[in-house]
Amino acid sequence: MAEESILTDDFLHELMSVGEVDLLVGVPTHNDAATIGPIVQAIRAGLVQFFPRQRAVILNADGGSHDQTQELVRAASITDLQHTPNPHALRTLHSISARYGGGPTSGRGLYAILAAADLLHSSACAVISADSSNIEPEWIAHLLRPVSQDGFDLVTPVYHRHKFDGLLLRNLVYPMTRALYGKQIREPYPSEFAFSGRLATHLFGQDGWTAEAEQDGARLYMTISAITGGFKLAQALLGSKTRAPSSPPADVVDALREGVGPLFFSLDRQPAWRTNTPSEPVPILGGQPEVTLDPLRINRKRLYDLFRSGVSELAPLLSSIVSPFTLEQLQQLASRGEEDFCYCDELWVKTVYEFAASYHRAVLNRDHIIQALAPLYRGRAYTFLVENRDAQSEEVERNVEALCLTFEKVKPYLGELWDGRK
Amino acid sequence: MPLSQDPQWYKDALIYQVHVRSFQDSSGDGIGDFRGLAQKLDYVQDLGVDTLWLMPFFPSPLRDDGYDISDYRSVHPNYGTLDDFKGFLEAAHARGIRVIIEMVLNHTSDQHAWFQQSRSSRENPRRDWYVWSDKDTKYQGTRIIFLDTELSNWAWDPVSKQYYWHRFFSHQPDLNYDNPAVREEMWEIMRFWLRMGVDGFRLDAVPYLIEREGTNCENLPETHAVIKDYRARLDREFPGKMFLAEANQWPEDLGPYFSGGDEFHMAFNFPLMPRMFMGLKLEDRKPISEILQRTPAIPEICQWCLFLRNHDELTLEMVTDMERDYMYDEYARDRSMRLNLGIRRRLAPLLDNDRRRIELMNGMLLSLPGTPITYYGDEIGMGDNVNLGDRNGVRTPMQWDGGWNGGFSSADPEKLYSPLMLNPVYGYQAVNVASQKRFEHSLLSWMKRILKVRKSSPVFGRGSIEFLYPANHRVLAYIRKWGKETILVVNNLSSSAQAVELDLQGYKGNILIEMFGRNIFPRIGNLPYLLTMGPYQFYWFRLRKV
Repeated sequence: MAEESILTDDFLHELMSVGEVDLLVGVPTHNDAATIGPIVQAIRAGLVQFFPRQRAVILNADGGSHDQTQELVRAASITDLQHTPNPHALRTLHSISARYGGGPTSGRGLYAILAAADLLHSSACAVISADSSNIEPEWIAHLLRPVSQDGFDLVTPVYHRHKFDGLLLRNLVYPMTRALYGKQIREPYPSEFAFSGRLATHLFGQDGWTAEAEQDGARLYMTISAITGGFKLAQALLGSKTRAPSSPPADVVDALREGVGPLFFSLDRQPAWRTNTPSEPVPILGGQPEVTLDPLRINRKRLYDLFRSGVSELAPLLSSIVSPFTLEQLQQLASRGEEDFCYCDELWVKTVYEFAASYHRAVLNRDHIIQALAPLYRGRAYTFLVENRDAQSEEVERNVEALCLTFEKVKPYLGELWDGRK
Repeated sequence: MPLSQDPQWYKDALIYQVHVRSFQDSSGDGIGDFRGLAQKLDYVQDLGVDTLWLMPFFPSPLRDDGYDISDYRSVHPNYGTLDDFKGFLEAAHARGIRVIIEMVLNHTSDQHAWFQQSRSSRENPRRDWYVWSDKDTKYQGTRIIFLDTELSNWAWDPVSKQYYWHRFFSHQPDLNYDNPAVREEMWEIMRFWLRMGVDGFRLDAVPYLIEREGTNCENLPETHAVIKDYRARLDREFPGKMFLAEANQWPEDLGPYFSGGDEFHMAFNFPLMPRMFMGLKLEDRKPISEILQRTPAIPEICQWCLFLRNHDELTLEMVTDMERDYMYDEYARDRSMRLNLGIRRRLAPLLDNDRRRIELMNGMLLSLPGTPITYYGDEIGMGDNVNLGDRNGVRTPMQWDGGWNGGFSSADPEKLYSPLMLNPVYGYQAVNVASQKRFEHSLLSWMKRILKVRKSSPVFGRGSIEFLYPANHRVLAYIRKWGKETILVVNNLSSSAQAVELDLQGYKGNILIEMFGRNIFPRIGNLPYLLTMGPYQFYWFRLRKV
């Protein structure tokens, strides 16, 4: 995909007016009028308050909205065109909105933002999700300061999360990324994050980047590239994470496609995962995230039922993906009652690694492989919910950490599968 | 050359601010004087300016460089005699150069006979000529102007055992303008000078004439009433003469000084000046365009006075705290450069002696609406010496040549009223009139050319202004119009090349003629007008429809 097709003439025109900047905050959108207004106002307030002297731009990479998204973004500009002096802002703040070429994907939106950051020579950039409805101006400081002032290249967020929030993240994406690439990044697939101009330039130099940008896994690819490229990493505590009320509940299969597919795909592109060294912590700036324990109603039985029916109905498919021993274990598990059901750490990790290896060999259509993981993930989620039903925050953290260590311990097994030795 | 008889001559004026003491010494005592100044009138005329504004030259103990006056009807012996002044005035007028002098209304020196009499006893007839109080608690909330030296606006007088009010140094007691005798006497003083032939007054520190409890003692209606009365008398007895207000206030507070055209003819646009420097450093027109958006419309017969630098510190009173911090950090990192709420530096050092920035700032000075003032020495890029204390660092002797005392004086160098600039960059051997006169591309030669171009059109002094708002915020562009004449001014505030598209649809069909080289640029068509500009470049275009 040529850079030219992402940056339309209108997009380029807008960038010309902005000129070189120190800070760029990108917001990819597609029909986000319901949420985007307060988000850009919070970004604007953050830039004015915490970076009053820096040249900054709010850049909306839009996938072709048919609502008021773009107009709402432009309204956040601080310029003399408004004929209303703003004495609280030392300098002009452009808030521009332009459509990127091709159809709307999160990957293209991010790529357009990276391209703009490169053209404008921005030394520090942040990306904010269009459905971060509880964003506060301080988020901008928490994300950008470590990059602009402390020399970090990638700053990913950490949040205060409910113990049952982010189950896929806690049970698969985080521990597996950590095990594979050796860095304890809690949100390897972040919705808001910051990066340096150095990292942006590095990504553009990579052949695989444009292909990644076509897909929805671009953010994960960015995180992995930063890790394997030896860039300086940090995590910033932003607060609580909420999704916009208008956002539809995440579909498990879609979530697996977005989060796990790119992770499996990265194994083909990033040979760095083959090293077997223990993972290292990544500094968390601004405090420690808390696990909240508010009561929450979840239909655990449905998860259990879907696991059992999935294992049964997908047995022919699963026999091509997992080992016979693993399949047998899963079938035995599916025969147990709820009170005896436990999808233990080691079995889950082996399942995931066998799926990854099968994805690598494309034993089936890769999307079918991902879909087949869905019922198994539900079973794992059920176990997590039960095990942590009465757990306090420290115990939840210990359980997650134990799972992470299991992923690391069993990692050589993935290597053997990869090489065909198992 | 006869003086223009246009009663609104001040709108077309190009003003040169000079301190007699600093310009030329004819007597060899190390201090500039009127005979010396008269000797240099050819230079002033050749420069292209047509109005001189003289800093105070009345008798004074010189504890505030002459703004502390001890006799309003004479000339300080350092500078010559009253006859010398008259001779200078006549010579200036003969060259078509008008002369504005300082009139310090608000206060006198404590050495003035009036104050000596006033303080001598509470029964003295002149007691009420100043503002006295048993306590120093009146007029609370009035800001202190000279923050670096004064702790209070009241000073204790041990002679008459009362406090007296002073908005500036404690040796400059404020006159009491509630006293009709004071008002009358000050008018008689102005009349004295007007009869001699001066063309106008810069009325120093006018916002502070009247005090009232419960106010900030600035810009009060009673103060405006005093000035209005003087203006009415001026118009009756001396039509064509001019009052220029020194009122360092926010834009909204400046409008009343023009009133309906019956108060001041001109007022300094103080809020604009620091924002020009700010816009240049930020590479962003926002500070400049926004302050001009806030600047009130003024009566047609009135005029703003614009300046880049003057004898005082670059004042940062009329900016926000955030803006002041930025200006200090960018222009006065060395804290010794800071004085009161300002920066005591000359133009060239402020701009790092960058010729392009000096030209750009002068370009804006001469093209924005108002009458421009050039501070002596800035036309050749003189430097400053912050080690001289107070604001003396920007008041060093004029540098005429690379010889003895820079051509300023034949006295021994130790006798000079101020040391000369000596360093290799700004010293008189490097920066002087004689050497710059020899070269076509010197700053002095350039200043003469731009002043000539400015004078070639009355649009600059009298025209309206319409801002264009190109998307590129690094470019400040505006249209000046007067009668049938239209000029487009485009300024690149950035240190890097810029492309800018201007919406000139309203002027479609016009050809642009660049005013310095008189070259033709493309006609304005249907598309936005694209200009590419080098770092700190500016254009003046005359629009012509053929």
